[in-house]
Amino acid sequence: MTALGLGMIILLGAIVVLFFVVMFVVSAYNRLVSLRNRYKNAYAQIDVQLKRRYDLIPNLVETAKGYIKHERETLENVTKARNIAYAAAQTAAANPGDASAMKNLGSAETGLAGTLSRLMVVSEQYPDLKANENMMQLTEELTSTENKISFARQAYNDSVMTYNTQREVFPTNFIANTFNFGPAESFVIDKPEEKEAPKVQF
Amino acid sequence: MDFFERQEKSRRNTKFLVVYFVAGVAMMILTIYLVASVVFNVAGSRHRHHYYGYDYDSQVQMNQVPLWNPKLFCGVAIGTLAVIGIGSLFKTMELAQGGSAVSSMMGGRLINPNTTNLDERKLMNIVEEMALASGVPVPQVYVMDGEEGINAFAAGHTTSDATVTVTRGCMKLLTRDELQGVIAHEFSHILNGDMRLNLRLLGIIFGILCLAVIGRVLLYARGGSRDRNALPLFGVVLLILGYVGVFFGRLIQAAVSRQREFLADASAVQFTRNPLGITSALKKIGGLGESGSRIRHAHAEEISHMFFGNGLSAPLFTLLATHPPLVDRIRAIDPSFDGKFPPVKYPSEEEIPERIGRTAAPPRFPGIPPIVPAAVALGAVMPNLGTPNTAHLHYAVELRNSYPPALQTAARDAMGATALIYGLLMSTDSAMRAQQLDLLAQNTSAAVRQETERLLPQIDPVATNAKLPLVDLALPGLRQLSPAQYQQFSKATQALIEADGQIDLFEYVLQKIVLRHLDTQFNGARKTVTQYYALTPLATDVSILLSALAHAGSNDPAQCQSAFQQGAQSLSSLMPTPLRYVSSDQCNLPQVDTALARLNQAAPQIKKNVLNACALVVAADGVIEEMEAELLRAIADALDCPMPPFLQSAEPAAAAATPNAG
Repeated sequence: MTALGLGMIILLGAIVVLFFVVMFVVSAYNRLVSLRNRYKNAYAQIDVQLKRRYDLIPNLVETAKGYIKHERETLENVTKARNIAYAAAQTAAANPGDASAMKNLGSAETGLAGTLSRLMVVSEQYPDLKANENMMQLTEELTSTENKISFARQAYNDSVMTYNTQREVFPTNFIANTFNFGPAESFVIDKPEEKEAPKVQF
Repeated sequence: MDFFERQEKSRRNTKFLVVYFVAGVAMMILTIYLVASVVFNVAGSRHRHHYYGYDYDSQVQMNQVPLWNPKLFCGVAIGTLAVIGIGSLFKTMELAQGGSAVSSMMGGRLINPNTTNLDERKLMNIVEEMALASGVPVPQVYVMDGEEGINAFAAGHTTSDATVTVTRGCMKLLTRDELQGVIAHEFSHILNGDMRLNLRLLGIIFGILCLAVIGRVLLYARGGSRDRNALPLFGVVLLILGYVGVFFGRLIQAAVSRQREFLADASAVQFTRNPLGITSALKKIGGLGESGSRIRHAHAEEISHMFFGNGLSAPLFTLLATHPPLVDRIRAIDPSFDGKFPPVKYPSEEEIPERIGRTAAPPRFPGIPPIVPAAVALGAVMPNLGTPNTAHLHYAVELRNSYPPALQTAARDAMGATALIYGLLMSTDSAMRAQQLDLLAQNTSAAVRQETERLLPQIDPVATNAKLPLVDLALPGLRQLSPAQYQQFSKATQALIEADGQIDLFEYVLQKIVLRHLDTQFNGARKTVTQYYALTPLATDVSILLSALAHAGSNDPAQCQSAFQQGAQSLSSLMPTPLRYVSSDQCNLPQVDTALARLNQAAPQIKKNVLNACALVVAADGVIEEMEAELLRAIADALDCPMPPFLQSAEPAAAAATPNAG
């Protein structure tokens, strides 16, 4: 009877411990999944605004073309940069958080921002273009969309950070590695001014 | 049966849950004990035989099956209770997140509020219209992509964390009217208090189903020495017993959910006044054959009581059926149904383009469809609470279409939604407004200020009765904020409200609604536990609320006092001492806040009486104006009692609110 009692207790203890372990694993896994979904949804918000911007840019270029006849290169650069960014966004949308896709998108967007700012600088010199109603409306929508992109980007980066932290923290990191939860990459765009190398003056 | 009675009934049913659960667990412990005692006696006799070799058989046979083994019984009881308890606790904690926990568990994909996919857009529009008509914030909508059948469910603790999930089959196979019928059914669940009941049931059921899981795990565990050869055997036993758990689980689910399905169907018909919608959705399920509403996902078992149609294979016993038979459900709405299900056709292409183009006469200016009255009848306030009908739905469609496209789009993304709320909090006085905009830029960023300024020209003309619905529409956008952004948002709204240094009750309640609904997402879903069953402990809170309302209505102290008296009088029969009228410095905003929080924990009947008293205070000057009506709606929201918009055509029900309510 004693052996039975001892065996019983050990068995019970084993069941309860096993249960706790299983519950912990399941809950950690679910938490990682939910955080991953959160940053993917956050990326989807950026994607909507990016697409809007890519749709606005050809209109902008067309409108400006009529006025800026001698700055063809500037306009061509804008279109080229826009196409590169569009392609990068497609890849990133298919795989949000993937390191190479996000880095590509980041640099493509930085490039696009640079060409657009140069276009804005150039168009300052054409008062007719500045006064054009279509142009004003388009630049206004563009600014608004860029505001929304940066807001959404902030939310995305916040959720990426939360996910990455959860991934690395003990003991969830075991679950993360076992079930192949890779790190997510944040979305960084450099401001055009920062890309200019600082002029050193002695 | 009005909204409050339905809520009360649902609360009582929750108590039955506990009874069923305890009974089920007791029977399970008994069954497991019986099996365990047989198993261990067999193992024990072999053990004794092995070790002691010689023939103990005669002695063993005498005490072969001691039916009562206290140690074993304790062990089994403790083990089972521990497993079930931990399992249920675990699941309940997981569900603290709210409806989204259930939707993700079922493999749902969150639909982007600014989706451009036609099917998703159609679904979102239907959900938005229903939310506006009921006076609840737009819930999150999920799609189960892998499910081809027609089914749906609503989950959540309160309207703040509610989610509606549909299958892909729903989106593809149903016409707009049919989809509307299904969504109306789900909204009925939300408004009837079923969601809370179902979620609690889910937490409990999971504990019972755990044993089946553990059984499976133990089955594949390696047996070590002969001493432990009972282990995999015990695994088989646990697996079988797990299915015993499934049996009891389904029994409990069936007991709770069957009647509620009929009720939800009836509410849906009242809502849409289109019995065709829901009956033809049900007929389509029948037309798809055996698996019309079948859900293939592994977790379907746990939430089978929450589905629109039967999500599992046909039950062995009708006792275990979580849903009434399809034919009965259809006949309950359409008695002439002949029992034959027509084959299912995919909706034709012409159906799909949105009805957006077909608005009626152009509205005077944004947000005022012609049918809204300038003043509201007192008798129309209470009866419609929680009971939206077709008129509300039509109004909601018109209302949604009357908002300028810029506002509709802004509501669906995070930044636009915050700009919308900031815009609604802007003062009409231009100097104050400039100050507020500066504060806004300080608290957030220049970009946010820019966006707000862009939207202001379209927000200003929005009529009073269209402001709260706009907030409801903006909730999906606001949910996309990150936690850090949400903190910034709540600080900014606070700064804007405090900017003019004056108490504006409407402003305050607007902010309260937004923060209250978002709080569940960012700080975990609250499950309000009913703590107050009598009005007496809440006397101070009620006085504060009624006094604040009285002060908001007039500057003349005599008028305020008399208004207060009107409301207090209606409650005099329920309270031993009369309510004290409070001066305005003692019912400031933080105090009203606390009062509302405490009142939110009262039983449904108490809330009904309090809201009735509020309506009387507001109507004391003879008429309930637009602003006051919206204030009432906002207070009702704070008490978790959604109030549909006020309409001219709303029939004051036979049991109209009288001064002696109760």
